[in-house]
Amino acid sequence: MEALKSFFMTAPVEPAVFAQSLWLIIALPLLGAFVCGVFGKKLGRGNVHLIACATVAGSFVLSALAFWCVNHAPPGGSPVSMENPFSSSAVRYAIGYDYGTWFAAGDFRVNFGLMVDHLSGVMLLVITGVGFLIHVYSTSYMEHDESGWRYFSYLNLFIAAMLTLVLADNLVLLFVGWEGVGLASYLLIGFWYTDAAKAWAGRKAFVTNRIGDFAFLIASFLLVLLVSAFSTQANVGNYATVGVNAEAAQARYREGLELKGPLSFPGLEILANAVPTTTENNTQAALSLQTTIQEGPLAGRTFGGVLTVTLLLFLLGAAGKSAQFPLYVWLPDAMAGPTPVSALIHAATMVTAGVYLFCRMSYLLVLSPTAMLTVAIIGAFTALLAALIAFAQDDIKKVLAYSTVSQLGLMFMGVGTGIFWAAVLHLVTHAFFKACLFLGAGSVMHGNGDETDIKKLGGLRGEMRTTWWTFLVATLTITGILPLSSGFLSKDALLHGVHHNHLVGFEGAATALYVVGLVIALCTAFYMTRVYVLTFEGERSKEARVAHAHESSRYMTVPLVILAFLSIAALWYALPLMPGRSGIKQPVMENFLGPVFASAERIAARGAQVKLDHSLPSGLDYAIAWVTALVGGGLAAFAYRKYFPARAGTPAPVWARSVRRFTQNKFYVDEVYDFLIIRPVKGVGTIVFKMVETVIDKGLVHGTAWVTNFAGITLRYLQTGDAQAYATVMALALLGGAVYAIIQVLN
Amino acid sequence: MANSVDIKYYLILAAILFCLGMFGVLVRRNALVVFMCVELMLNAANLTFLSFAKQNGDLTGHVSAFFVIAVAAAEASIGLAIVIAVFRSRGTVNIEEIRTMKH
Repeated sequence: MEALKSFFMTAPVEPAVFAQSLWLIIALPLLGAFVCGVFGKKLGRGNVHLIACATVAGSFVLSALAFWCVNHAPPGGSPVSMENPFSSSAVRYAIGYDYGTWFAAGDFRVNFGLMVDHLSGVMLLVITGVGFLIHVYSTSYMEHDESGWRYFSYLNLFIAAMLTLVLADNLVLLFVGWEGVGLASYLLIGFWYTDAAKAWAGRKAFVTNRIGDFAFLIASFLLVLLVSAFSTQANVGNYATVGVNAEAAQARYREGLELKGPLSFPGLEILANAVPTTTENNTQAALSLQTTIQEGPLAGRTFGGVLTVTLLLFLLGAAGKSAQFPLYVWLPDAMAGPTPVSALIHAATMVTAGVYLFCRMSYLLVLSPTAMLTVAIIGAFTALLAALIAFAQDDIKKVLAYSTVSQLGLMFMGVGTGIFWAAVLHLVTHAFFKACLFLGAGSVMHGNGDETDIKKLGGLRGEMRTTWWTFLVATLTITGILPLSSGFLSKDALLHGVHHNHLVGFEGAATALYVVGLVIALCTAFYMTRVYVLTFEGERSKEARVAHAHESSRYMTVPLVILAFLSIAALWYALPLMPGRSGIKQPVMENFLGPVFASAERIAARGAQVKLDHSLPSGLDYAIAWVTALVGGGLAAFAYRKYFPARAGTPAPVWARSVRRFTQNKFYVDEVYDFLIIRPVKGVGTIVFKMVETVIDKGLVHGTAWVTNFAGITLRYLQTGDAQAYATVMALALLGGAVYAIIQVLN
Repeated sequence: MANSVDIKYYLILAAILFCLGMFGVLVRRNALVVFMCVELMLNAANLTFLSFAKQNGDLTGHVSAFFVIAVAAAEASIGLAIVIAVFRSRGTVNIEEIRTMKH
């Protein structure tokens, strides 16, 4: 056992050496995207599959190595740590490498720096691991598509962008990945671009994301101004909490700013550590959250106020990427893309970006309870809304899409109340079971002539054995009906944290959010069971497209089996097995992510604004969660097996009809947006267009053309080529000259 | 030659001839007639030269008139050659139809 432990604790490559190769993790899929995109047509299907899968597999191997390096702590040796350019203390359990200045303008500087710590290490494994499985699955799923090479090129691009997002050690580079996944999702959702509806769905995703990205950009700019204001106004006292020697810490921080620029994560972490929430608890500090900024564009505002606004803008950005209210509307429409794409977007990559962003900046978030509460409320509202919409959707992919929106809402609740590790854990487990569900849905569609209406399926249990049992496992995991599954434990850890963490000033919120969380869990159990029962149990629908479904090929089922296995196996991370700093056993994931969230913990403890809780859920908590899941699942199973099997053509009962219609139309949120935002904007656009058309188009552009044309028509008569006409002009001119001369002489 | 004609009558006659010639150049469409009208204008010029020469009592005007006649002869031969060439290539000497100068 010890030998095994020391084997896993000793990286095969020296971490400092491996750090220099981190860029390869991004470069491999990017190369794959390039080769598939440019030469794919000539290479042939098999080669494209090979290249696309191999590059992601290579990335996975490198990610695993990076992960191994981050955990490097050989017996007797010191744990791996990297130098922090902003502070004399090192960043623990992290490797990173700075590839030099990317761009600089005045004081502003951005470096191309990559960093892997425990948080991004986990993300790396999820992205490349699940991504690889989805690639393999796609080779079979997209077999009949003409432009498979284009698909795999986009898919690789997606992975590369997401890896950039996760590996970046500053906000600007993260934004590159942030935009990259947006672009790749647009390309993939609108992959079948000859179908207008699908192209529109891609466009909708793109535009909605753009709104969020704009907020992200403004937030980044605010942060730059905030950092420069902090650097001018802070005194030595501020740095007392950062390093042993405050003066050295200040000098070091300023060096770091010059070296790495203001938007580097280690720098932001030092800033968060150096700002006390009130002046009372650190009398030597010149600056606290209540201090007014003295100069620059932000003059007159307090640090705390600007920080809250910044975080709220980041929330809007994250809402765009992670499909939270009010920007979630693109995600269900994104079902227009190929199903493995949905799996990739929903499970492993894009939508987790928002959660990742807030976990990455947890130390800033805990400085502002207002922002935290907003994040939590937005999460809870989104989760509930999406869960309710999922009740009445008949399209198997749409249900799963709303389920993702809902689960992400849960993660945001966790992030908002400060239980960051559980949010990450749920992110990981969700990646497994949601990928399994989506790929399962894809398999169902594949075997049933692309039928997505669950009312026209049914009875697939016997015909698609592997798809059936993997889907069942994933359903049991996401609903929590099976108590020993990763989904159950991670969701419960999340809800427990939401319940027990306190935001000072908003005490009532914790219980309310917990109750909402339970309702969401109930809804999840209900609609997922509904999907499962209608798809796999009972009789085969009379309106099914094909008489007998066929099981998918091995390339599709093997990833399903692996994902189903992982959905269960990931429960290990939620078990309290590892002793924490205080000696009490902590869940593995909490222990593991400890170094990443250490700053957040410290700041929360110091500020007394946010009280983070580390207790384990009791048996009663588990019991409540389990009963909730059982009730939800049982209700759905009972309702859809006995009471109304709701086959296509069988109408729903009268009392349920209007509710059903209302829910089915997604509470008319899209229509409300259309009425409140899109139409006014379009109206203004039309007016501006008319103005521009009249003044610029008609007046200036056409006017110039008209004047030139008129001059041409008139002057044409001077160029007839008629010698006599020329002679006439000459004679008239002579005559004129003579008359003029005579007048002059006579005068 | 005591009652010699006053010079202004010569000049008036020359002006009338010149105007007739110019009128012809501007109005007529036949290239040959245009040429004849040009000759008329040249001769109007010659007439003024000779009138002034008589009044001055030297031979400068006569010399100029000879030069003009020589140049006019040369011009007429080249011009006729051009007109014949044009007629051969286009079948007409109507100058309204020969508008090559606009190219």
